This record gives sequence, C-alpha cells and structure tokens, in this order.
Amino acid sequence: MVNKESNSYTLIFSAVLVVLVGVLLTVVFEITNTPYEKSVEMEKRQNILSAALGKALSREEADGLFTKYIKDSKVYNAQGVEVQGQDAFNLDLAKELKKSESEQLYPLFVFQDGEVTRYILGMRGTGLWGPVWGYIAIESDLNSVFYANFDHKGETPGLGAEIKQPIFQDQFGLDKGKRIYNGSEFKGIVVEKKGRTSESSPEFAHVVNGISGGTITSDGVSYMLQKYLKAFDAFATKSGLKGSNVQAQLHLNASTQNP
Amino acid sequence: MELVNIFIRSIFIENMIFAYFLGMCSYLAVSKKVNTAVGLGMAVIFVLGVTIPINYLLENYLLKAGALSWLGPDLADVNLGFLSFIMFIAVIAAVVQLVEMAVEKFSPTLYSALGIFLPLIAVNCSILGGALFMQEKDFPNIGQATVYGLGSGVGWFIAIVAIAAIREKIRYSNVPGPLRGLGMAFIITGLMGIAFLSFSGIKL
Amino acid sequence: MSTETIAAVKERKPLFTAKDRKLITDPLDDDNPITVQVLGICSALAVTVQVKPALFMSMGVLFVLIMGNLVVSLIRNLIPSRVRIIVQLVIVAALVTVVDQVLKAYAYDVSKELSVFVGLIITNCIVMGRLEAFALANKPGPAILDGIGNGLGYSFILLLVAVVRELFGSGTILGFPIIGEWALNLGYKHNGLFVLPPMALVIVGVIIWVQRSRNQKLIEAN
Repeated sequence: MVNKESNSYTLIFSAVLVVLVGVLLTVVFEITNTPYEKSVEMEKRQNILSAALGKALSREEADGLFTKYIKDSKVYNAQGVEVQGQDAFNLDLAKELKKSESEQLYPLFVFQDGEVTRYILGMRGTGLWGPVWGYIAIESDLNSVFYANFDHKGETPGLGAEIKQPIFQDQFGLDKGKRIYNGSEFKGIVVEKKGRTSESSPEFAHVVNGISGGTITSDGVSYMLQKYLKAFDAFATKSGLKGSNVQAQLHLNASTQNP
Repeated sequence: MELVNIFIRSIFIENMIFAYFLGMCSYLAVSKKVNTAVGLGMAVIFVLGVTIPINYLLENYLLKAGALSWLGPDLADVNLGFLSFIMFIAVIAAVVQLVEMAVEKFSPTLYSALGIFLPLIAVNCSILGGALFMQEKDFPNIGQATVYGLGSGVGWFIAIVAIAAIREKIRYSNVPGPLRGLGMAFIITGLMGIAFLSFSGIKL
Repeated sequence: MSTETIAAVKERKPLFTAKDRKLITDPLDDDNPITVQVLGICSALAVTVQVKPALFMSMGVLFVLIMGNLVVSLIRNLIPSRVRIIVQLVIVAALVTVVDQVLKAYAYDVSKELSVFVGLIITNCIVMGRLEAFALANKPGPAILDGIGNGLGYSFILLLVAVVRELFGSGTILGFPIIGEWALNLGYKHNGLFVLPPMALVIVGVIIWVQRSRNQKLIEAN
C-alpha cells in the first residue's frame, strides 16, 4: 500500500484528478455549446419577430419565419449616422452600454411583409436588479407604435418582472394609438405612474402606465425607450427616411443610402 | 460616486442574506451568540474582500469569452467560461487556506478569535455567490468589484450580528415549543428581510 | 410453491434491508436536510417563487448529490485526507458544471431563470455535508441511497414552499391557473407578499413548526 499522506502521492493524485476533470468538462462543453448558442440566437429572433408581428411566437416558428420577414438591418450611432460593417443581429448591446453615450451603437431591423413595412429597434437598459431589454416595432409612418416586448434578467417576480407580461406589453399595441411624435415634435414614449396623465388627454398617446410596486423597473424601461427612440429619430431624420415618409416603404433601400 | 452607490446597494438592497439567502447555513448555525457572530462576520468580510478581486482578474484575463486576447490575437476566440465554477471555488478554497495559515502565524489573537470559522467559510455560499454575482454584473474595473465584495461582506456581517442579538434576547420570551430555535430564527429572518425591502430603490 | 420460493429468495437477499430503507426515509422527515440538519438553505429559497424552477433545481441537486456521493465513495480510499475538502469541492464543481451546461443546452428557459443559482449547488451545504459525513466512510451502495434520500428530502421541502408561494402569490401551479377568474371577480386578491423573498423564510419557519409539533422529539431546548 502506498503512503496516502506523502507529498508525492498527494501531488500525483491532484494532478490526475485535475486532468480527468478537465477532460470531462471539455467534452461536455463541446457537446452542449452548439445547442446553447443556437437557443440564444433563436430567442433573439423570437423576440424581434414577436414585436414585429404583435403576437407571441414559439421559438421554432420564429426561427423559420425570421428570414422571410426581416429583410434588412442597420446599425447607427447616437447622432443617427449609419455605421457600416456592423451586424445588427450580433451587436452586443451589453457592451455598447458600457461605452460613453455618444459612442454607443443602436441596432434596427426592417420587417417587410408585402406592402407592410415596420421598423424594430433593439433596446437595453437597467432595471432594479439587473439589465432589462426589449424590442419595439414602429409602423412605416415612423410615428405609430405597433407593438413592443420586454424581458429582464431578474426583476422582482410579480412586480418589476411584470414588464414581460401581456398586461404591460399590450399597452404598446397598435389599437392603443401610441405615437412617438406630436405633430413634428419628438415626444417618445414615457412610462409613468398610472393616472398622472389623464387617459383622455392627447398627451396620453406618449404615455404608458407603469407597474405599481415596480417603479424602479418602470423608470428603467422609460429611460431605455426614450434613449433608443431618440436615436431612431436622429437616424430617421439624417437618413432621409422621415422626409420621404409615405413613400418610404417603397423606396426604403434607396432612401437609406443617403447619409 | 459609483463606488459609494455599489457599496450601499450591496449592503442594504442586495443583502446576501435578506435578498438572496446566501450563506444561510452558517448564518443559522453560528448566530446563537453575538461574540461568535461578530467573529464569523469579520471573517466573511475579509474573505469576500480578497477573493472577489482575485476572481475578477481570473474572469477577465482568463475565463471570459475573448479574455485571452492579451496573450495574442489567435486566442481571442477562446471561451473558457465553462471552467469558471471550478476556478472560483479553487481560488476560494486556496485563499481561505492561505488566510488561515497567515493569520495563525502573524496574529495568534485574531486566529484564536476566527480560527474555527475560517475553514467553514470555504463552503459558505455567500463567498461563491459573491463571485458568481460579480461575474454576472460584469463590473468595468477591479475597484468596483472589490467594493462590491467588501459591501456584500459588510451586509452579511450586519445580518448575522443582528440576528444573533435578537436570538440572545428571545431566549427570555415564551416561544411555542415547536417553534423554538430554528423555526423562530427563520421567521425572524423573514421579518428582517421585509424590513430590508424598504431599502430597495435607494440610489445615491 | 412458487410464492414460497419468492418469499424465501426475498428473505435471503432482500433488495433493500431495513437499514437501507431508513437511509431513504429518514431524510424525508426525522432527519430532513433542510428543517432538521439545517443544510442547503442557501441556494434553495431563492428559486421557490414558482414550482417549475424549484423542480429543476431539485433535480439538479438530486443528480449532483447522488453522483457526488457515488464518486467520492468509490475513490474514498484513494483521497489523501489533507486535500480532502478541495477534492470534494472539485468533484462537486465538475458535476455542477455538467448540470449547468446541460440545462443551458436543453432547457434554456429554465437555465435563464435559475441563472447563478445553479452554480451555488456547489456550496449547497447538503452536498458537501453528505459527502463529508457519509460518502467518505461508506460503500457506494449505501452512499447512493443516502444521496437519493437526502435529495428527496430537500426536494420535498423545496416543492412544498414553491407550491405555497406560487399558489398564493400568483394563483397558479406550474403556470396553470388554479385560482380562477371567478375568485378574482369576487374580490380575491393574489397576495403579493408571497412572491417576495422574505416569505420563503417565513414559510420554512411554519413548516418547521408543523413538523415539530407532530414530532415532539425534534424540539430544541431553549
């Protein structure tokens, strides 16, 4: 019997263990990494498409339909200038958020189904506990909000976490008549305490009700919406999308090429 | 300012015990007397304050996707993230061991105060939890990570000292038999947690 | 005749001896890891807001506990006692990494919900506690049973807490509505307090209370 307590035995034992464990974990990682990365990608597609179509989709459905509907994507900076050589789908918003605000990049996806065009903005911000993110779809008039969805890492269940529930998201539905502009003035969408703006006032077109008990999360979502919509406003103005408003859907590709 | 914010947040809002229940085992086991609770609390502050920055460096220069790019552009694609659990726990176990030896050698008084608690700390969930939360929060620099570690430790310290004080006093109350000891400790912790909820949302 | 032989066979070599059975049943009540041994509360309570994550967490812990007990028990005569704790931690960490990777790949939604709490199985005191107290000193067979017993005892409490919190907090179980619209129309309100973290502690406290009133020998001296 070898002496179990000798230094050399302990060292050999540890070395063998480390090698075995390392090999095991590498094998497991190799097997599981591809399905994992695929799920992450599919979830992104699912979120983008369900904002664009205004309905919940299964991950598999979304995967099949994505290339059919999402025809184009752009990346632009806070000044609204399109940035070439960036892939909107793989743009890591978490990384962008760490840069100074003027250097951050913003992704935009263009949904096209026959005559219908919608613009989907990818967004990311901070809630109470951690990051919140979402997608908001805007009609081709560049004003009406079509739908939006949100998700979060770990907001309080039942309170802040409600942002991913229909009760919050449906407020962004087309039938609710939310708009980004009041005439030509940029307003964006603000999340605020229910009742602060009367539902009958014209201002209510730019307001959605926050979640009672989830104030910090609601404020985070509000800030995020304003920031990304403002950048989109800048992009729409600079790229000429807005000038050719009504015809935009037909001449999308031509109009976005002017800086 | 950001540092103060992280510090306050990690003590009061994201308190290891009241918000995440981390380190509950030793929290319940060692909270019968204030003296011992203070000892363990200090040890946790110290170990969190040391291991979080070390794990932060490991995470950012070794484990994260693209973390190895400082060694050469070929390695920019390497993602060793799947090894993070093992690396973190190894660092924690090693640091605890080192700290134990160092304290024993240089400060026998501190050692006799902390001695028996140090080995316990390697398996204290709040230490590994701190490392995992640090990984998730993705701090931009090591200063913030260190402050986060210290703050989490202080939060844990406050929690265990407070419950120990309450448990010392509650001995004089007429608690129903089946609820004595453990049951009561759970419920008091719950009530304290509700009190701590009122801190949520504080921003400096 | 045939029944007799079966009985005889059973008597000669029963699949589970009374002692083996005790290994499984004890942790469910008298020696429950959470309410009596006070182990493994750390990573447990945060995942009990809903039943589904609690279920997956239980399965993860059960797997790690059984495999960890088995592996440590198999190599118990080879482990140098000086590095014993680190060896156990490495084995557990490796198993947990496997669980984490598998969840990420094949149960993506669940892994999102559990997030860092999967990693915390490593320091779940139940796992380390059972490795240290049982697997290091016993043969693989009983070690597996001990793992199953303690894993089930843990899962039982976890699911109990999760059912209570999901039912009263959001009126559903596993996402299916249990408390219907009619109750809400009658003025019933979901109790938001149940979804907040502190309620998990209070519920465990109450469970301990119930268990100890039933089982008087567990009552602590003041």
